[in-house]
Amino acid sequence: MTTNNHGPGPVVWAGIIAGTCLLLFALQKLLWLVVPFLLALVLYYMLRPLVQGLVLRGMGRDGAASAVMLGFLAVVGAGFALMLPRLATQLVDGQSSVERYMKGGINLLERSLRMLEAKWALLADAHIAETVVHRLNNLGGDVATHIEPLAMGIAAWMPSLLLAPFLAFFFLRDGQRFKRFLGSAVPNAFFERTLYLLHDVDRTARAYFQGLIELTVLDTVTLAAGLSLMGVPGALALGVICAVLAWIPYVGSILGGLLVVLVAATDFPDTPAMAYWAVMLFIFVRLLDDFVYMPLTIGKSLHMHPLVTVLMIFVGGAVAGVPGLMLVLPVLGVVMVIGATVGQIVTDPRLMARHRHARLLRKQHASLDLN
Amino acid sequence: MVLGLFRPKPVSPRLERLHSLFLFVNLTPAELAIVDGLLHERDYCADEVIFDEGEEGQAIYIVLEGRVAIRRDNDGEPVVLAEMEAGAVFGDVALLNNAPRLAQARAATSCRLAVFFREDFMTLLDTHARIASKISLQIARTLANRLRDVRIAPQTSQHL
Repeated sequence: MTTNNHGPGPVVWAGIIAGTCLLLFALQKLLWLVVPFLLALVLYYMLRPLVQGLVLRGMGRDGAASAVMLGFLAVVGAGFALMLPRLATQLVDGQSSVERYMKGGINLLERSLRMLEAKWALLADAHIAETVVHRLNNLGGDVATHIEPLAMGIAAWMPSLLLAPFLAFFFLRDGQRFKRFLGSAVPNAFFERTLYLLHDVDRTARAYFQGLIELTVLDTVTLAAGLSLMGVPGALALGVICAVLAWIPYVGSILGGLLVVLVAATDFPDTPAMAYWAVMLFIFVRLLDDFVYMPLTIGKSLHMHPLVTVLMIFVGGAVAGVPGLMLVLPVLGVVMVIGATVGQIVTDPRLMARHRHARLLRKQHASLDLN
Repeated sequence: MVLGLFRPKPVSPRLERLHSLFLFVNLTPAELAIVDGLLHERDYCADEVIFDEGEEGQAIYIVLEGRVAIRRDNDGEPVVLAEMEAGAVFGDVALLNNAPRLAQARAATSCRLAVFFREDFMTLLDTHARIASKISLQIARTLANRLRDVRIAPQTSQHL
């Protein structure tokens, strides 16, 4: 009758990995909903302590959720209003800025390749600098042709992103009710185990998303400090953008690094060393991130073997591309907990016997006066 | 208007019923509303097993309607140690630690139970220490009463 608390076996693990892949495949078709849902979860775990604090001071859960969400929207609105004049200027000459940064990046690359050509005759004979720059210029073509679809894509995504605070509000207000609702659908025999499962899913998700927030703050602070020491303008904004981009494993980090290098190369065209220092800083922060920050924040939360984590990131990318990279770890964390618990339930003969017995009793009870 | 959010609201019949339970008798209406949000209600048929002896305890149960038999296996023969009626609390040791259940709980009649999950109680200790301490005091009183019962009549002890 005792509980079997051993870890999941190979069959359950195969099910967990297959379930994660299937979910990722299905979720990439619903990306317009999944991304706001994930952002809503980040917001939910960020704002939940505030709601709990207000409930503790005697406010009802509904009122506390409304007050916290209104406060959050007011802060975001105020920040947006303060940023609006600067943002508007950036948007007006957005195209010329992008062209300027692209040109800055190409100039840096050309200069670096010419330096290499001067040292390596083989590269000079191949006219590597000329070839690469020519190809990049051809590839780039008119920047407007690349910016327009990107801008249209962002505009199309905006309405679904506005879902995030809306969803987060309902998570804050009705999270406990939803847990009770889910619990009520579970047969009595599995009830305690399911409650534990729901708690574990919540604990895993909370640890993951709070870890993600902590990691973003640490990355932002480190990058911003490094960039401002180097004298790069807009160090804090660059730090925030790179830290948020790093939510997408590998691809996000490369994009963030590229952005920092482009800014350094463009704003200091006569000092190429600045761009090299920016690359060094970025590599340093990534190493710090992988070996210090990540294990301290997210790594702790999922209790996953590093090999499984890395392999699943590749599997996620192969199954669902960039969205797969972004979603694979939280999805795997949740599927792992569900898989382990379902595995425990279906392999527990006593629980299954109790469930069959309860069903029989209910059947007998329902037909008591009919025989 | 903002202050109105903090004003006490009229007590619903559901909360009044909760307030009548021994475990929650010291809670204020606002505190009861918080606890109510954490309780699950379950219906059991007569003879249905609620939990087994040796199972890892995850929750405390409160009888809302009907009766529950607490049984222990004695050389293959089930022995009824106690019968819990409406208002009674059982499985409370599970709230304090995750030790295995010391007896089996089985519905003696069709019954409705309120279930308080241990992890919710642990969260309550962090977020609402005042409520958790009031509930803990009532659990301590229940355990003290049981200890006294054991000393007076060992055969009626209720080991859960």
